[in-house]
Amino acid sequence: MGIGPSTKETSLHHFRDPLLDVVSKDIDVDLLGVIVVGTPQDNRDKYFVGERAAMWVESMRAEGVILSVDGWGNSHIDYANTIEQIGKRGISVVGISFVGTQASFVVTNKYMDTIVDSNKSEQGIETEVVGENNVDRIDARKALAFLKLKMRKSREE
Amino acid sequence: MDEKILRRLVIRAFHVREVRFGTVNRIENGVLTISKDFLQPILDQNQLVQEIKVEVIEPGDYNREINTIMDIIPISTKVLGQLGEGITHTITGVYVMLTGADENGKQMIEFGSSEGNLKEKLFLNRAGTPSDRDIILHIDVKLLGNQIFDRKITTAAFKACNEILQRIREVLKEMDGREATESHEYFDIIRVGKPKVVIIKQIAGQGAMYDNQLFSDEPSGFSGGRSIIDMGNMPVILSPNEYRDGALRSMT
Repeated sequence: MGIGPSTKETSLHHFRDPLLDVVSKDIDVDLLGVIVVGTPQDNRDKYFVGERAAMWVESMRAEGVILSVDGWGNSHIDYANTIEQIGKRGISVVGISFVGTQASFVVTNKYMDTIVDSNKSEQGIETEVVGENNVDRIDARKALAFLKLKMRKSREE
Repeated sequence: MDEKILRRLVIRAFHVREVRFGTVNRIENGVLTISKDFLQPILDQNQLVQEIKVEVIEPGDYNREINTIMDIIPISTKVLGQLGEGITHTITGVYVMLTGADENGKQMIEFGSSEGNLKEKLFLNRAGTPSDRDIILHIDVKLLGNQIFDRKITTAAFKACNEILQRIREVLKEMDGREATESHEYFDIIRVGKPKVVIIKQIAGQGAMYDNQLFSDEPSGFSGGRSIIDMGNMPVILSPNEYRDGALRSMT
């Protein structure tokens, strides 16, 4: 388990990334930047880089984060940890990931209540068809809508 | 509304409706001509690369066997400024599909392979894949067999492909901006008083075909870039325009 053909994001995807397009064009949010963080092999490193990413977001005084990942299984260890690190700092966080029927989270926590599933295949699996389970504009819009709701709720609390 | 503009990026698109092979690289009246003369020097310089095949796949003509798809790449080049600002030229209508295996047919994959019949292995019309009207420039790289599957071998394929594309980029760089089919303006902007949000992309960083590179010399390019593995997988911040300008190169 890692990054399969149907979930992997090609260089063309990054160039025309629907998530960036949707969030940057929304005049109701101030997009501070895009953080890319790797998925190391070693468990200690996985926790370390995720915490560093969360600390960065905190230092930027961000109110909300959308965290997207193009792999699953082992990569979900990093993913769950980074979400937790962001969540416990009081920052609203929404995830986007392939889940389907095949990639239920191997670890989970209370901050993972809003995850947009990028699965598009009927069977909910890694189909090995390049591009099939990629994040599209609808996934991106859903994630941003969830984030706006979460941020509003958090402000009201 | 209170907005502060930080940076401006212009992406000019040059639409290509036909790809031909010829003696020189050229883009003229929507026709991209590619010379195969430069393939031999690339082979001579890359000992791990045994053979490179370049073919043009017309829309709909997908019934063919391919090796695993290593990447789909736009052909873009910096004309003015550095990644994230200034002017970028990009080709629309044709996208590069890099496939690869070694001499023994071992596919260049980390997890899950897309080798097989192209019509069943590529989902068209996604952000990261060509549309059903686009031409696919197919570059297939055959690598030396019986090697340890590590970053060295896969990097040789990405590098060889990039050297081919760089020659097209040199032509694209010289195109007159007034001849562009489309021109898009993007701004890195502060929307004062609006909720501050950040996008985080968790990307691969463990080894061959589980790697990503940042800040190549050219948009979606290869040479000059730094692997996220070599940066210890630590978080790196990109401005929206840097990201949009192809600062992240996929090697998955």
